Amino acid sequence: MKRSSLIIALLLAFAPAFAQAPVRTENLIYSVLAYNGRDYSPTFARTASPAVFLIAGVDNFLTVRKTLVYFWPLTGEWKTNMDALNVPIDGVLEITDRWGSSIRVIPSRYTYYNERGEYELNWKVAQDAEADRVWAHWSAILGAYEAAMKDYRDRLAKEQDARASLIVRIQRLRNEGGDVTALVDQLSNMKEPEAPQPPQDYVVPPAEIQQAFIVNLSAGDYTLRFKSFDGSILEGSEKRLVVHQRRRSGGIGYEVIPGDRWTRPVDSATPSAVLYVDGSSDLYLRPYVEDEYNDLYYAKTIRNDARGNPNLMKWERIQQIPRAGIELTGGGAGKSMIREEPWFVEQAQGATLGYRIVPFDPQGAQKGKEPSLIAFRVTPGQGSAVTGLRTVDSSGGPLPGSERQIRVIAPPAAEPVLPLLALAPLGAMALVLVRRARRYRRS
Amino acid sequence: MSGRARAARVIAKRQVFEALVSPGLYIALVAGLFLGYALVSGFARAVDSSGFNPQLRPLYDIIGRGLEGAFGKTFVDALFAEGPLPFAFSVSFAPVFLYIAVSSVFKFGLEKNAGAVELVAYGPADGTSYLIASYVKDLLLSLFSILVLLAFMVAAAALYNYLAGPELFVAAVVAFFLSLALLAYGSLASMLTVNASSSLALFLGIIAFLLVVLFGSFAIVGEYVRTLSTVIARAVQWVSPFFYGNLSLRANAAGDPLGFVGGLALLAVLAVVILTASHFIISARGVRA
Amino acid sequence: MIQTRQLVKRYGTFTAVEGIDLHIRPGEIYGFLGPNGAGKTTTMMMLLGITRPTSGEIFLFGEKYTHRRLDLRRRIGVVPEKHPRGVWPWMTAEEYLRFFAELFAVPRPEERISSLLEKVDLLGFRNRRIREFSRGMLQKLSFTRAILHDPDILLLDEPISGLDPLGIRQVRDLIMSENRGGRSIFISSHQLSEMERICHRVAIISKGRLMAEDTMQNLVARLFREREIHVELEKVPQGLAARLKKLPSVLECTVRGETLIVTVPRQGDFRRVVSEFLIGQDLVPLSIQERVVSLEEAFVTITQENIGSLVSDGGEG
Repeated sequence: MKRSSLIIALLLAFAPAFAQAPVRTENLIYSVLAYNGRDYSPTFARTASPAVFLIAGVDNFLTVRKTLVYFWPLTGEWKTNMDALNVPIDGVLEITDRWGSSIRVIPSRYTYYNERGEYELNWKVAQDAEADRVWAHWSAILGAYEAAMKDYRDRLAKEQDARASLIVRIQRLRNEGGDVTALVDQLSNMKEPEAPQPPQDYVVPPAEIQQAFIVNLSAGDYTLRFKSFDGSILEGSEKRLVVHQRRRSGGIGYEVIPGDRWTRPVDSATPSAVLYVDGSSDLYLRPYVEDEYNDLYYAKTIRNDARGNPNLMKWERIQQIPRAGIELTGGGAGKSMIREEPWFVEQAQGATLGYRIVPFDPQGAQKGKEPSLIAFRVTPGQGSAVTGLRTVDSSGGPLPGSERQIRVIAPPAAEPVLPLLALAPLGAMALVLVRRARRYRRS
Repeated sequence: MSGRARAARVIAKRQVFEALVSPGLYIALVAGLFLGYALVSGFARAVDSSGFNPQLRPLYDIIGRGLEGAFGKTFVDALFAEGPLPFAFSVSFAPVFLYIAVSSVFKFGLEKNAGAVELVAYGPADGTSYLIASYVKDLLLSLFSILVLLAFMVAAAALYNYLAGPELFVAAVVAFFLSLALLAYGSLASMLTVNASSSLALFLGIIAFLLVVLFGSFAIVGEYVRTLSTVIARAVQWVSPFFYGNLSLRANAAGDPLGFVGGLALLAVLAVVILTASHFIISARGVRA
Repeated sequence: MIQTRQLVKRYGTFTAVEGIDLHIRPGEIYGFLGPNGAGKTTTMMMLLGITRPTSGEIFLFGEKYTHRRLDLRRRIGVVPEKHPRGVWPWMTAEEYLRFFAELFAVPRPEERISSLLEKVDLLGFRNRRIREFSRGMLQKLSFTRAILHDPDILLLDEPISGLDPLGIRQVRDLIMSENRGGRSIFISSHQLSEMERICHRVAIISKGRLMAEDTMQNLVARLFREREIHVELEKVPQGLAARLKKLPSVLECTVRGETLIVTVPRQGDFRRVVSEFLIGQDLVPLSIQERVVSLEEAFVTITQENIGSLVSDGGEG
């Protein structure tokens, strides 16, 4: 091989190593911790971004800071590098509505948390003194749990020491030919200390107290500005503030997990949607509550540089429906009810690739393991090409908007009928032309 | 029945007869039906164990990517939520409607130039009778085509186990009401210009402009394009059938039946306004070749 | 039957028709003459309601006519100059007539169509498409369409334009036949010789104005106060014209070849006087004829246009 070709080949092989690192530029950003209907997710609006998007009627947290931003081409999104630069800026937020009236927002100390309830979502925000109280309460619970854990670990260590020494005694006595029955009884009656339960009060425990501008507005278009304490507007801080709200709530969507690709679920969010499947595998369904938001605005609430269509509405998943049931129809057997079950993904044994999904047996084959998924299993096409389903709540009442159909699709044997039907107008045309030609011939 | 209405009925009958003995409509229907067939059969091959997956089929892959790039993933998901039939119906109807509208606009110009309208106007008819007759003929042909395409889609649903559901019938209803207004524009173009080619150019120009404005304001391709289109759309939306059709579809998506019917009613009102303008134009200009 | 009062049509600053008063009587054949651009077509279009007058009134069958009176058009049949052959070429003659029969609500249309097609010798062509018709056949078809609904009056625009002599005769016979049946006929034409033969009255329009409206006889009498008697002799002796001129009733006498042209007053019959004089001169006339003033002469006199350009422009004949 020529030397020049070798050099070129080496350069090409190592080309990625010489690729330019993304350019980081200093930016004034709004750091946003926005509520998205199910939880709080962080995003930021850099200087070039024209607007900030928030959901109406809920507490959202904004801070203003200087940091480095860069565009990450692999994921196509803008990112911050706060490790290198993160300078919070003090001042006042001024929000002006479209009629010209303004409000000033000063920073507040806050924490947020999600208390456990029947449904997952019980988000709360506490400010100032209330935040201190909540944090103190959580700290106390956490402290008590940690103390209980320490005590448990001590007792466990003692128990294990006692067990070990008893085993030694039994062995020695057995070797000596003595009666070990009593000692064995004692050993089997020894119980491990019970581990303390982690605190169950919160789904998401209170976050450490921070300081931010808490913004809770009604739906509309606003102008956002950041002012220093001397009253001057910080350059680059003026933006449009879009506060939007859900159009409809309480819709029901389904996460659809195919049995043959269980790691790649899809969503059936549109209420009138039909699930068309080829019937080659079972479906594992997980119904959830959903709300309808503006496609663009919601996407930008979660990530400020996201794309979306402002002319469209989209159903967004909010939370799972607790203790639901699914009613199935079709198949000639009338209605049947299925319940949510735990399932386990069992890898194929030996050299064979693949897996199968089996019912989770915590006392048997899957003892000591966690279920892979908890869902409703539906076998499409059983007895009927069309399966109807709807979700019922814990009291058995059907949930509006939860109706779906699962239709098994395959190219039919009688498919050539359709192109023949498409040619039917030509047949009609031929008939018409022949009749007219006969008429002309009569003259 | 008034003399003018009666004359319009007779003229419309002849024009419908002429359309039915000409090959053009049948060929357009076959073209539309084959387009529909390609889409419904392609969908069946683009379904896997978890649902509709456009990437499984080249035709749908191109369609999906194109639509997603232009209008976003939400648009594509909503479009195929009930299945392929609403989309297939709309795509099938487009070339058929285009044929009906274009041939009507062109033919009116030809007939007027050749003196046929004048000849009829020597009798108990006038230019408005001819205008109404031509419009009614186009509407009847559109309705006939919609019914043929709907029947085809229902047959496809039975064959492939698709759902011929409310969205398909919404698409058909909106298509018909859109036709009301678009065909009225065809009549207006015929009245405004002096010959068939000019009429056709004007009509296609109007439709293309309104479509570009609609797509521009609907697309997510670029902020500048969308902003510009939105500004223009606000100015022209009141005379755009696509604006009112979009209103109806959005109301339907929002579960608002009154809004849906309202959008359709506005389409009908727009058609009446345009036809009234056409009537005044032909009354003022006369029917002489 | 049709009457207009001070009918005016202006296009911007151009006046196409100025103060026309027409009066077409029931049962007559009325000729409407004028050079190109005189306003004939504009006037006809106003009578038909295709063009709206700028001012003036039109009365059809005693009722005031406006463009809204579509019902009055049922009583009019129109044969335009050119049949729009290029537009409905796919229609058969029967389909074409059936369409108009339905438009005019003709009772028992099949019977009527058949009898009319037979009358114009087109019965054997009823299932032929219009695009296969000759010029003459189209004109007959057009005529048939115009009388399909039994109108009270027919309006014909250049009905024999482009026809061969046989076709001209056929159309002339049709016109006369329809008139004998009581139908009024309004004809706009350049073919002055034909108009002279068939019209009861004529109107002459020039530059938008009505120049004359009367019977042929009255028109000639008003325009020409003298008559000419043409006497053909074997040989005209020298001095004969001068001697003839001395007769008290002779206004002028000239010789053209072997023909004496004797001008006498319009009133009275002077052929006898001339004959007696010639016999007194031992001359035997080969023929004595009074020259009839033609419509063409009257037309030219009234419009003072070059008749040659009228014949070569537009008309074929």
